Amino acid sequence: MNLRTCSIFAFIFSFLMSTPSVDAQQATRITEVYVPNSPLVSFRIVVRTGSVNDPAGKEGLNALTAAMIGQGGSQSLTYQQIVDKLYPWAARISAQADKEITTIVGEVHRDHVQEFYGLLWELVSAPRFDADDFARNKDDQLNYLKNTLRGNDDENLGKAGLNLLMYANHPYHAVVAGTVQGLNAVSLDDVRTFHRAMYTQSRIIFGIAGGYPKELIDRIKNDLSALPAGSFSEVPLPSPVQPVGVEGMIIQKDNRATAVSFGYPIDVTRKDRDFYALLVANSYLGEHRTFNGVLMNHLRGDRGLNYGDYSYIENFIQDGGSTFPDPNIPRRQQFFSVWIRPVEPKNAHFAIRAAMREVQLLVDNGLTKDQFETTRDFLIHYSKLWVQTQSRRLGYVMDSEVYGIPYYIDYLAKQLSLLTVDDVNAAIKKHLQAKNYYLSIVAKDAGPLSDALLSNAPSPIQYNNPNVPAEILAQDKEIQVLPVNINKEKFTIVPSGDLFEK
Amino acid sequence: MMIKLSGAVLLAGAMLALVATGRAAEPGTSNDIFPYPVTKTVLDNGLTVLTIPYDSPGLVAYYTVVRTGSRNEVEPGHSGFAHFFEHCMFRGTVKYPADKYNDILKRLGADSNAFTTDDWTCYHIVASADALETLADIESDRFMNLKYSEEAFKTEAGAILGEYNKNYSVPFQSMYETLQNTAFTTHTYKHTTMGFLADIKDMPNQYDYSLKFFDRFYRPENCTVVVVGDVKNDEVIRIVRKYYSGWKRGNYQVQVPVEPPQKEEKVVHMPWKNRTLPYLMIGYHVPAFSDDDVQRASLDILSQLVFSESSPLYQSLVIKKQLVEFVNGGVDDHRDPFLFTALSRIKDVKDVDSVLDEIYAALENAKTVPVDAQKLRDIKSYIRYAFAMQLNKPDNVAVTIATYIALTGNYDSVNKLYALYEKVTPEDIMHAAQKYFRKENRTVVILEHEAAQ
Repeated sequence: MNLRTCSIFAFIFSFLMSTPSVDAQQATRITEVYVPNSPLVSFRIVVRTGSVNDPAGKEGLNALTAAMIGQGGSQSLTYQQIVDKLYPWAARISAQADKEITTIVGEVHRDHVQEFYGLLWELVSAPRFDADDFARNKDDQLNYLKNTLRGNDDENLGKAGLNLLMYANHPYHAVVAGTVQGLNAVSLDDVRTFHRAMYTQSRIIFGIAGGYPKELIDRIKNDLSALPAGSFSEVPLPSPVQPVGVEGMIIQKDNRATAVSFGYPIDVTRKDRDFYALLVANSYLGEHRTFNGVLMNHLRGDRGLNYGDYSYIENFIQDGGSTFPDPNIPRRQQFFSVWIRPVEPKNAHFAIRAAMREVQLLVDNGLTKDQFETTRDFLIHYSKLWVQTQSRRLGYVMDSEVYGIPYYIDYLAKQLSLLTVDDVNAAIKKHLQAKNYYLSIVAKDAGPLSDALLSNAPSPIQYNNPNVPAEILAQDKEIQVLPVNINKEKFTIVPSGDLFEK
Repeated sequence: MMIKLSGAVLLAGAMLALVATGRAAEPGTSNDIFPYPVTKTVLDNGLTVLTIPYDSPGLVAYYTVVRTGSRNEVEPGHSGFAHFFEHCMFRGTVKYPADKYNDILKRLGADSNAFTTDDWTCYHIVASADALETLADIESDRFMNLKYSEEAFKTEAGAILGEYNKNYSVPFQSMYETLQNTAFTTHTYKHTTMGFLADIKDMPNQYDYSLKFFDRFYRPENCTVVVVGDVKNDEVIRIVRKYYSGWKRGNYQVQVPVEPPQKEEKVVHMPWKNRTLPYLMIGYHVPAFSDDDVQRASLDILSQLVFSESSPLYQSLVIKKQLVEFVNGGVDDHRDPFLFTALSRIKDVKDVDSVLDEIYAALENAKTVPVDAQKLRDIKSYIRYAFAMQLNKPDNVAVTIATYIALTGNYDSVNKLYALYEKVTPEDIMHAAQKYFRKENRTVVILEHEAAQ
């Protein structure tokens, strides 16, 4: 069989006819990805505000302001009237908030693009700030914290816990939805004031993709120039504090299986050359939702411990039912993390050790030349699939602007093609280590698990399969006693109901 | 954090497939809602191949549809097996052991995975179009020559339990499990695709059954290969004939038991150990998917009329009274009679009864009050545009066609269904509501924090 390396991938997205253009000289910034044959028009309005801009004591204000656009009325139309307008077109408007960027996303068939745009722009520039909309959105956001995260979704609870640990006393500390007390302190006037300060020319990049009429661009420019100029300055970010030993918490709640996330901040983003070296290392360790990573192969494939095991070198949110990362969540500071999907409690301690061992092996041994080459080639091809739709491509173009790099998907291919295995292994040594972590666990048996972790008690795996290969059993003997250097001063048990309060 | 505002009604699970069809490109024929030409070929061994050229230069979506899902799990103790078997399909062959199979996909930079539903199993790959022959080689090989050890089988059973466990902390999974187990007494839809927990725990002991399962269902007459993207039919057929012609037909016919009519209302209260808002799930028995029964199509229109964000019920419960976070409802298309399901998350436990009453009242209203002409036009418009907007990449085109293949065996069902939607009248909707939204035909599941019960 001929395993062609599919060089044709380089051309597969030519149909998008990309013409991203940023007019940085003018006050208005518009990014275009023109796809003349597309029947759809996609919008992404990026606003350079995020949860880092939440005032102290009002955590959640940025997300709530976004919700007043994504799930609220405009000055001329109530929320219900907007829903009724969008309905026969099956058009969509949503708001997506993150730490530093908030994005209003819209999509419509070109048959209705002019009317849709008018409606979308009024939502962004002149929300209704209706008291009932405010009450509803605030309720939803509070319930997300108080009920969904605390009681209905262990995997995201574990990840949120890791965020809390990594960014104590840092502007990234609160989850994007905020805190219960913070949200309770937010008034409708706060939202109004926040919107006035943030939804300004200086903070907005307007993105449009698809088969839109070119004259629409003039209309957008006019509208953008009518916005207040405002001002944009980035919230200063201190260097995140690195863990000393394994610092962490066990979030106690009733569940069937134990969810685990661990990691630490790293000092690289897409702007940095080492990011691309780490991208290869990370893909080898734990590419999201694939069987490429050693974590997945060794924890799930060899041992059947759980459904999946992956690693990341930046914040990762999966886009809907796909396996690809959401665009428009860029950050100035990123983190390395390992996600162990829920494991039966009896094997949780073993799974944590097994995953930490994989990181240790990566740090100690790096990649071979062959591992490097196959992983790099995979990423060059696979990353092209991240931008199969015009809306996603637009998002990635805009993220590149925020990072100040050329179009990420092309830049990634170029950077990867320049790498050597030595570059990758040097970047691993420089940025990754396997001794000190923040560790977030969601578990029912918090006390016994904590005792076992603190005492480094042996944690033999319990198999369903009595005929495990000798090679695996030999590794197990090593894993079950792998020392995990828990920092006893900084390792706690917290009831899930106590989190996200303030 | 994502905050959405949209014209769409969403229901967890396969309901998304409900609102398919519009006209994004030139239609295949003047009356078809599906806009791309489809070439169908049936090989001598019964394997169906559909080729759909699509404007995605250099890219192809390669789907294999197996018309077997948890519906086929008729033998006690083997619920969840179709899904488990989907996992086994990644355990390799003599020619391409699991690590080699994965290496090939890795070198291609492909996006590859699989999923199982109540009715079908789908294996899907998106890759470079010039890898078409490689894809046919590795896919045909595992469908014909799958070979895994008992040890590998037992290990994979651990991943299934892991999948069950990861879902378990989210209330929907448990609620669907309870709803199906309560609403159905006889049909295999009594269990979810994941299967009963007891059966999942026993999976490691079912190696021999797994061989039987493969022998029964992984046969060419039960499968369809759907190829979408930068491809030419002649080339696709040449390649498929080369790799799949040696696949032998099977002869197993599953006898799925028929569900008798439900005779009285069933209500289940589920305690939830962690703090939660109350959830409500209501299921009404409705007929199987059909592309020629206007009453069945009317239920899809009715789901929009009663439960869309543009409906009076949504306006009342979500926007005006703010008693619930969301409310939605619709039919999850199935090969055999399934359920019209409504779902809501209520903000305060004291309002559960009044929310239930308001949902019932909205369904009662649909029995006697004809939808006004403009509203009906809006709903039909929504359905057409929603379909057009989802066909935005080869993957989505392939899964759309695959869904209808799974339901009826005929991709053209999509065109027939959407033609049928156009014919639905206000009277059809009222008749459908009168026929199915009866108290004795429903099952209600209420999930609440155990402290509230």
